[in-house]
Amino acid sequence: MTATLTDVSKQYGRTVALHPTTLRLDEGVVGLLGPNGAGKTTMLRVLSSALAPSTGTVTVAGHAVTGSHAERTEARRRIGYLPQEVVFPRGMTAFGFLDYIAVLKEWADTARRHDEVRRVLGLVGLGERATVKVKALSGGQRRRLAIAQALLGDPALLILDEPTTGLDPEQRASLRGLLSGRPGTVLISTHQTEDVSALCDRVVVLDAGRVRFDGTVPELLATAAGRVHQGAAPSPGAVQTWRTGTGLIRSVGGRPAAGSSTVEPTVEDAYLLLRSTAPEGAVA
Amino acid sequence: MSWHVDERAWRAYAAGELDPVAETAFEQHVTACPDCRAGARPLVPDAGALWTAVHAEVTRPRRPWPLRLLARLGVPESDLVVVGAARDLLLSWSVAVGAAVCCAFLTGLAPVRLPGGPPALFLLLAPLIPVLAVVATYDTTDPFREVTATTPFSKLRLALLRTTAALTAAVPLTVAAALAVPALHGYFATWLLPGLALTVATLILLTWLTARVASAVVAAGWLAAASAAAGAGGIQAVTTAAGQAGSALAVAVLAVVLVHVTTNHGAAR
Repeated sequence: MTATLTDVSKQYGRTVALHPTTLRLDEGVVGLLGPNGAGKTTMLRVLSSALAPSTGTVTVAGHAVTGSHAERTEARRRIGYLPQEVVFPRGMTAFGFLDYIAVLKEWADTARRHDEVRRVLGLVGLGERATVKVKALSGGQRRRLAIAQALLGDPALLILDEPTTGLDPEQRASLRGLLSGRPGTVLISTHQTEDVSALCDRVVVLDAGRVRFDGTVPELLATAAGRVHQGAAPSPGAVQTWRTGTGLIRSVGGRPAAGSSTVEPTVEDAYLLLRSTAPEGAVA
Repeated sequence: MSWHVDERAWRAYAAGELDPVAETAFEQHVTACPDCRAGARPLVPDAGALWTAVHAEVTRPRRPWPLRLLARLGVPESDLVVVGAARDLLLSWSVAVGAAVCCAFLTGLAPVRLPGGPPALFLLLAPLIPVLAVVATYDTTDPFREVTATTPFSKLRLALLRTTAALTAAVPLTVAAALAVPALHGYFATWLLPGLALTVATLILLTWLTARVASAVVAAGWLAAASAAAGAGGIQAVTTAAGQAGSALAVAVLAVVLVHVTTNHGAAR
């Protein structure tokens, strides 16, 4: 399964949220990193067909999201989308909510649909909470319920906007296991750089509506090689410095202070260094 | 216990092959016999999954009576799920009942000095009742329109399902309200086409606006048009042949626009 964005841009009035962008997403997990307002959510909404782009074309498995109604419908049959925020109707149960979304995903046969609803409830660990009203679920459980609706039908393209928000470490690890083992394409927008290093085959960094980096995790790490140091004093000109639990000061970028040693960079280090050279721009 | 359930009986029960009398006897026996319940365990390797399924089925909330009525009328189960998601169809039905009663009450009490009298007030308010009922069904499900917008389900079908369900209450109740007020007997059907036009206009606006904003825009537009019509024979002009023909034309044009926006609009619903 391949999804493509070709010269896709989005403008809100005079504000450019996404500059013309071309991306090809193949099988695997792709992490989308970027600061708030970088255009990540806009890109995901456009790819999911929730938002029409200002220019450009979007295809999912060869079907044009930006094309005719029939083409867009075909594309939507292959998409599972988790928005950044899902507001649930108060009166529905977890089962009822998923049952409704499953109908909208064209699961007309009642028995098969209910089986599918139970399957995804089990996947996110909510099998025992099926009959509980959504308003009685905790924040993390609601987030998992929102993830479950995206998993209905095992879509070929899974688009997740900050899926780990509100999840505890165990639930995050469980979600990683779930996503890493599935076939198809997964695009995850996140602020959690550790999720990217643990899960993603590829990283795309967006900043001010433009792609700043597109490559594998090792390639991103390579951009920070030799530029992260640890010692008794901070590196002059460092992008970020902080005292670690060992009492040593970790410095990202800058000139190494006397007596400091070079350490292996993390995805977060590489991201911070990349951001330190990123152009500023007005973005929604 | 003088007898026990054997494997063959369990399989017949599980397959639903027992007649009602035998099935009842079977269930009563198993309920009282721990040995037979224990004997069933090897036949069900994954009892946890089965129990989850049974639990989900048994404790699934009972549908409200309007949905049960629609089910008896033969509406497909999946359509009932869509209609029921607007929680509560009962909400829109309640809105329809309340609006119809208020409409009848207001028009019954309308002072005679009001231009056009009670019929004018009725013709002003009645077409907005189906709009309110439809909006009530949408308002509940609007919070997650971002999710529903990206599903392949036909947005036109979705709109029509919800609207039809809402109108099945709003229309008869408003007609009944008109028939209950003597001064309105001659007007019980003349509001239907304007009401339908306003409803379709609301559905079109729902492509871009939230339910509450869409209904407010339509209501404001309708009241403005009614005020403008005061100098051209008043709102009662809609009851004339020309007024009805104009309303029918508006319905047809708006229906075409609705089909267009629900099938060709780049995103959203």
